[in-house]
Amino acid sequence: MRILLSDHYRTARQSLDRARLRTLLTVTGVAIGVASITTILALAGGVNKIIDKQVADLGHSIAVIRPHTNEPTLADLSNPSPSNAYSTSPLVERDVKTVLDMPETDQAAPLMTLSGSVRTKYVTPKRSTIVATTPALESVNHLTLSDGQFIDSVTKQNTAVLGTQLSIDLFGTEQSVGQTFLIRGQSYTVIGVLKRENKPINYNNIDFDYAAVISLTSGKLFNGGVAQIQQINVKAKNGTDMRAFSHKIDQALQKNHDGQKDSEVVTDSAIAKPTSNLFRWVSSVMTAVAGISLIVGGVGIMNIMLVGVSERTREIGLRKAVGASNLTIVSQFLIESLIISALGGLLGFISGYLVAFFISLVIPYDPTFTWSIVGWAALLSLGVGIVFGLYPAFRASRKDPIESLRRYH
Amino acid sequence: MAKSASKPVIELTDLKKRFGIGDAEHYALDGVDLTVNKGEFIAIMGPSGCGKTTLLNIIGLLDRPTDGEYLLDGESVEDLRGGQASRIRAGRIGFIFQSFNLIERLNVLENVALPLTYSGLPHMKRIQRASDVLKSFHLQEREYYMPWQLSGGQTQRVAIARALVNNPSIILADEPTGNLDSKSSHIIMEELSEIHKRGNTILMVTHNPNLTTYATRVITMLDGKIDTDTAEPREAALKVSTKRPLGKSAKTKKKPSKRKGKKS
Repeated sequence: MRILLSDHYRTARQSLDRARLRTLLTVTGVAIGVASITTILALAGGVNKIIDKQVADLGHSIAVIRPHTNEPTLADLSNPSPSNAYSTSPLVERDVKTVLDMPETDQAAPLMTLSGSVRTKYVTPKRSTIVATTPALESVNHLTLSDGQFIDSVTKQNTAVLGTQLSIDLFGTEQSVGQTFLIRGQSYTVIGVLKRENKPINYNNIDFDYAAVISLTSGKLFNGGVAQIQQINVKAKNGTDMRAFSHKIDQALQKNHDGQKDSEVVTDSAIAKPTSNLFRWVSSVMTAVAGISLIVGGVGIMNIMLVGVSERTREIGLRKAVGASNLTIVSQFLIESLIISALGGLLGFISGYLVAFFISLVIPYDPTFTWSIVGWAALLSLGVGIVFGLYPAFRASRKDPIESLRRYH
Repeated sequence: MAKSASKPVIELTDLKKRFGIGDAEHYALDGVDLTVNKGEFIAIMGPSGCGKTTLLNIIGLLDRPTDGEYLLDGESVEDLRGGQASRIRAGRIGFIFQSFNLIERLNVLENVALPLTYSGLPHMKRIQRASDVLKSFHLQEREYYMPWQLSGGQTQRVAIARALVNNPSIILADEPTGNLDSKSSHIIMEELSEIHKRGNTILMVTHNPNLTTYATRVITMLDGKIDTDTAEPREAALKVSTKRPLGKSAKTKKKPSKRKGKKS
C-alpha cells in the first residue's frame, strides 16, 4: 500500500497550522514530559561521569575500607531514624595499623570526620568539614597544596590544612597560612591551603574544598581520645593482586573485630558506587514522575486528535469517497500526532538541557550529553505519538463515508 | 454525439439493500436491475426515501448491497476488500455532491488535485493535471482562491472538475444543483452536458424535473424499485415512447415527469 508520506506531512502541517494555539499547547504537554526525562538523564549521566573518571584516576591500586551497612530498604526512606543512623563506625586505629603492617600495603590513610564548628572570631562559614587523618592521605588521595605544607609527623598539634573555599570563607583569601581560627573553640593555625579540587562528589564523601584537615592525634582529642574512623584508604604496592589483597584485609579486620563482619573492603569501580542508596531511590522516583508527565502529555495528544477527527469528519468522508483507503486515513492522522509529539520531543529535549544547566548552577556537577539521551528522548516522544495517536487515527479510519458526508447538510 | 451503446459500464442485477433488523427492517433497494452503457447521461428521479441515494452509494462503492450482483466495467465488485474498493473509487469513479464538499483549508487547485493523491501520482503532476482540468472549466484564474471565496455555482464547478480529474469511468452526481439557484443550476447542467458530450458517463440524482432535459435517459424510482425508465432495453416496446431523447442534448425540451406511473 502507498503510504503517501509527503502528502500526509503536508496535510498534517496545514491542519496543525490552522489550529496553532491548540497544537502549541499539546506540544507543550509532550515537551514538559520529555524535558523532565532529559533533565534527569543528563544529570544522572553527569554523576556517573564524575565517578567513572575518579575510578580511572585511582588506577587499580586503591582499596577502600568502610564500615559495613545494611542495604537500606524502601521503608528506611520513610523512617526518620533508621537503625544504623546513630551507630558508630567499628573501624579504629588498630585496624589502620593492621593494614599498614601487611607487606602489600604501600600506604594507608584513615579518614575521621568530626562534627563541630569551624570559625574565626568574626565569621562562621556555613559549610565546613573537619577531617582528622594522617600525613599519608596526601599521597594516597593525590592531594596537592597551593600554599604551605600538609600535616606531617613533626607538625604541632594545633595546626590545620584548609580547603580553598573554606580558607576564602574564613579569611577572605586563599593566602591564609599563619592565620588562626577556631575548631570547636580550640585555636588552630593554618599551615597549608589545598589546591582547589572541585570534586564535591567523590569516594571519600568529603568535599576537600570545604575541609579543615587536622592530624589524627588532634582529632582523637575531640572524641575522648578514641579514633572513630569512617573510612581507610589503602594504597597497595605496584603489582598487587587487589582481589586477594582486599580479601586478606577483610579477614584480618574480622579477626580484629571478634570475628564480626562489620566492615567491607572495596576496590576498583565498586569504590565509586554511590554509598547512599538514597540517591538511587530519588532518581528512580524522579524518573517515575517524569514518566507520568509524559503520559499526561500523551493523553493531551489523544484528546486533541479526537477533537481534530470529529471536526474533520466530513473531510474524512470526502477523502474516502475520492479514494482514500482506511490505511491512508490511519497514516494521515498518525503522522499528525507524530508531528505533534516530535515537535514536543525536540522542544522538550532542548528545554530539558536548559533546565539541567540551570540546575547544575546550584548542584555540584554538570549535565552530560550522550547520544543515548538523544535516543531516549526521540524514542519516548515518538512512542507517545504512536501510542496515543493510534486510537484517534483508527477512529478516523472507521468513519462511514456516507454518514460523514451527510453530517453537515 | 458519441454515445455508442456498446459496452455496459454498470450492470446491476436484482440489487437489494436492507436497513435495520427485525421489526425495523426495510429494503431501501428492493430488486433493482439496471444497465448503464458508456456515454449515457442518466437522471434518476423519485420521491424522498425511494432509494436513489442508496443506489448511488452502492454504485460508488461507498456502500455494499445486501443481495444481488453489481458488475463495474464487467467485473464483480462483490469480493472487493476495503483497500481495493478505495482504489477503484480513486481511479474510476468521480463524485459530485449536493453540498460541494470542498475542503475548506485547501485552495481550489489542491481540492481538484485531491483524488489524484490516492492514485499515486507525484505532487507536481497532480497539480498540473488539476490545473489543466480547471482550465477546461475556465476557472484557471481561480486556482489559488480558497473555497469560501467562491460563489455557489463556482464551487460546484470546482467540485465537478475534481470529479473529472482522474478520468473516471462514471461520474456520480447526488443532486448537484440542490443548493444552487436556478441560474447557477443551469450553468452547472450545461457544464455536465458538456462533459457528457466529451464522452463521459454520468449518473445524476435530482429532484428537479426541469433538469432531466439535459439527460439522455431518465429513470424514476419508487419504494426501492425502478418505476419507469426511458430506455429499458428489454422491454423497449412497452416502455419507450416516441419522445425518447436518445441522441438529443440540451436543446430539446420535454416533460419526462408526465411519463410516470406505469409499472416495473
